[in-house]
Amino acid sequence: MKADLSPRTKMFLYGLMCVLLIPFVFPTWWMVTSSVKPISDIFAFPPQLVPQTYDWTTYSKVFELQPFVTQYWNSAYIAALVTAGTMLVSSMAGYAFARIRFPFADAIFMVVLLGLLIPSEVTIVPLFQMFLKAGMVNTHWPLVLVPIFGAPSVFATFVMRQFFISLPVELEEAARVDGLGRFKIFTRIALPLAKPALASVAIFTFLHSWNLYLEPVVFLSSADKFTLPQALTQYTDAYGGPMWNIQLAAATLTALPVLIIFIIAQKQFVEGLAHTGLKG
Amino acid sequence: MNYHRNLKSAVAALAVLAPITWGGVAHAQDAINLRMTIWSANEAHLKLFNEIATGFKAEHPNVTIAYESLPFDTYMTALTTQIAGGNAPDMAWIFETSAYDFVNSGALFPLSDTLKATAGYNAEELSASAAERWTKDGKLFAYPFSTSPFAMFANNDLIKATGAKTPAELITAGQWTWDNAIATAAAVGKSGKGGLIVRDFNYQTWQNLASIWNGWGAAPWSADGKTCTMTEKPMVDALTFVHDAVFKTKAMPGPGESVDFFAGNAAMTITQISRASLLPKEKPFAWDLVPLPKGPAGDYALIGQAGVGVMQSGKNARTAAEFVAYMTNPQNSAKLSQFFPSARKSLLNAEVLKKTNPLLSQQQIDKVVIAGIATGKVIPGHTGFAQIQQVVRSGLDAVWRPDADIPAALKQICGQIGPLLKR
Amino acid sequence: MTVASKPTSLHHRSSYWTVARRDSLAGFLFIAPQLIGIIIFVLIPLGLVFWYSLHEWNVLANTFTYTGSANYQMLLEDPNLPAVLGATAIFSVGLVVFNLSLALLLALLLNQKLTGISIFRTLFFSPVVVSLVAWTIVWGFLLQKNGGINGMLLSVGIEGPNWLREPVTAMISVIVVQVFKNVGLNMILFLAALQGVPKELYEAARIDGAPRFKQFRRITLPLISPTIMLTSIITIVGSLQVFAQIAVLTQGGPGVTTTVLVYYLYQQAFQFHFFGYGSTLSIMLFAVVAVLTFAQWQMRKRIVFYES
Repeated sequence: MKADLSPRTKMFLYGLMCVLLIPFVFPTWWMVTSSVKPISDIFAFPPQLVPQTYDWTTYSKVFELQPFVTQYWNSAYIAALVTAGTMLVSSMAGYAFARIRFPFADAIFMVVLLGLLIPSEVTIVPLFQMFLKAGMVNTHWPLVLVPIFGAPSVFATFVMRQFFISLPVELEEAARVDGLGRFKIFTRIALPLAKPALASVAIFTFLHSWNLYLEPVVFLSSADKFTLPQALTQYTDAYGGPMWNIQLAAATLTALPVLIIFIIAQKQFVEGLAHTGLKG
Repeated sequence: MNYHRNLKSAVAALAVLAPITWGGVAHAQDAINLRMTIWSANEAHLKLFNEIATGFKAEHPNVTIAYESLPFDTYMTALTTQIAGGNAPDMAWIFETSAYDFVNSGALFPLSDTLKATAGYNAEELSASAAERWTKDGKLFAYPFSTSPFAMFANNDLIKATGAKTPAELITAGQWTWDNAIATAAAVGKSGKGGLIVRDFNYQTWQNLASIWNGWGAAPWSADGKTCTMTEKPMVDALTFVHDAVFKTKAMPGPGESVDFFAGNAAMTITQISRASLLPKEKPFAWDLVPLPKGPAGDYALIGQAGVGVMQSGKNARTAAEFVAYMTNPQNSAKLSQFFPSARKSLLNAEVLKKTNPLLSQQQIDKVVIAGIATGKVIPGHTGFAQIQQVVRSGLDAVWRPDADIPAALKQICGQIGPLLKR
Repeated sequence: MTVASKPTSLHHRSSYWTVARRDSLAGFLFIAPQLIGIIIFVLIPLGLVFWYSLHEWNVLANTFTYTGSANYQMLLEDPNLPAVLGATAIFSVGLVVFNLSLALLLALLLNQKLTGISIFRTLFFSPVVVSLVAWTIVWGFLLQKNGGINGMLLSVGIEGPNWLREPVTAMISVIVVQVFKNVGLNMILFLAALQGVPKELYEAARIDGAPRFKQFRRITLPLISPTIMLTSIITIVGSLQVFAQIAVLTQGGPGVTTTVLVYYLYQQAFQFHFFGYGSTLSIMLFAVVAVLTFAQWQMRKRIVFYES
């Protein structure tokens, strides 16, 4: 697959990729261009690929109609907290399942894996009642605690486990001989080597938290606590009809930073995944 | 050693979490905080509501009202999820289609006594027909604070351009019937623009087709709600009429076609009169507002309602009821009627209504708004409406095809909702 | 702390605290946060859901009556259920096949040495970070009868179908919308796996005169089979949880042809307020996912190449 390619093959490959790109790129393009069109133009037929008239007020309206900056901050700090917390919890649990022999380890791992199987729609009502009793409704606690300790972090644990399994045991055995306790082995040896896996866990987790929609809608009721995906749906006119152009402007603002981070960090991202030791 | 370290950090974590958990419990003894769920996020609306809340606070200093805006299309779902989760609001807006569910469930706090006890309230102003579905056993359980008639907007520029007759011309000639209305719409439809659009129907919200089938005297179920009447002649005729308008004469856009009247792309639209505010200010077109056409069964009118109720489960139901009484008293009803036409008889005059609808002419207000509210039937509703709505909707998908067997499709629908209606 | 810990343990009455036992304790402490979290946020709610499924819960009337297995009886007799399960199966299978093939194809393309390849990589990945709401809205607009896609087809003389309103095309549409949104993730996973295949193997094969396709079948596929297994498990489980696209694009229609299990559950529980029956459907969904995942996990011994 890595042999030198003839110019004709190269042209063909470029062409194929450009064609394939269209359904990936066009919706984003439409989102960005529609965010500066007046509403009536968005549904104009034939569709305008490039806006004919520009309405630059949509972006300022995004901030006027909602406490958008606060909501942005909410999404950001929650995602950061969740990412940090998940990295901690999943690396510890993944390491233990990979390396430590303790009673019922396999059975417990199966139980933990259950977390992967349950859609959030299934557990949302009981979870809501639990947090209501704890007085945590309309706070960010459910949005932080559940992803870190609950179902969403199980995938991260799985990935970390796979990674730690693929590490050569010799390093740790050498450390044992030197008299290091398990915790030290973890922090001094295993964890530093796990940077690529941690990086990919961080990316997955951040994206997941950033795009969460059902949970904020259920748990949060005041606008200044909303997160971004939730805020997007609040740009409605008097009759509940969405103000498309403003909503798309907000959506563009939501997508942009994450896209930029990905562009900058994609090498690490791909490398991180390559090392997740997806060999059994 | 490791064990001790872990234990210490665990205790430290709990110490941080605990106050936050229990912190929310303590609050001032006397302060009452009431929450009302609404489906509007409109700034102007909220400003008015907050003014009313401030007015109430003047007489009840310890009461604060908060309004929670839930998105319109998921309003019912969000509200019931709140209730299911034990987080019911103190007061809630209720759609006319869900009224029966709420009123019959015992979830609402009866308002009649509180309303009567409020000085200067004039509860008799609310006509029996307006209050019908919000009342049970003679008690009012939710107040219909908004009554808006459906009417027909017309784009006279588009219509005249095709040489067809405008609604105004047809009305003067005494020929404003559904057949003629569709003929005009078809003429515009042929010219490439949209014909007649039943706004907010979109082949999903079928109950809005009542704006058409009431002209045939049709109804989805009997007056007592127990029997499915969709297979009866009026409904079959009405739906066949609509089907042909969509697929044969192309007078109405088909499923999946989105055309916007207020962008100037269609001949006529049926919608609530408050939508007049969507008429374009730049590039305006010559428009008119007329009552719904006459059907084979005669003249008719259709209204939508919105009610506000108090949840029985709230700790401060009584205070909440007092607020609802305050919010809908004559003075505040007059203020609300800027956006939400009131059902109070005293407010059903051209002067008040001109304020709500500054764009309408005197004649339009008389013929469309006043007559509509006075004589209009409410959109069909039923207990268990959410499920019935969904079942009928997916059953009607078989009707919205070019070669549909309408009687058979309706028979199947009746078969499915029959047991649901009886519940 | 220091080496001193080890000798001390030999002196104390802690012949109990052998290295193995201390290790076990460490193990439990390491997994404690995750395990406790799963118990609190997954198992207990799941138990509660099962509890609800044994009741009829009228939210508005505030009644919660024990009905035992009545809901499960209703499940077995539900006339909609075969259609729902069928739709779910078609959707999941269609999605997984399309997603994995497309992801592999894209990964193979992106694995070439071409200038500017990283731009393409970013662009193919971009839908993953765009908001689901915005993505679905755009596609909803494009798929209208008089929308962008049919417009383009018309310009080459084809009259496109009413995508979202015909049973077959509606299902294809929701699958396609979901796949294009998320295939970027699987693509990156496959790309990483492809880059992990030792180049020498291909060199050796080429010297032996093996054609490209044979190289692919005999070298590439087996060596990335762990990734294929992992992504297929993730994608299948994910496909059974797809909700937003269906809610926005078709609302389960036309008829019930795109009402998959999780959407049906949402209708029953959240739209019709039948929380008891909705809970029963939740239990069923959980059972389906568990069985499928377990079956796939067992099959890994047969399919995956390296299993240490």
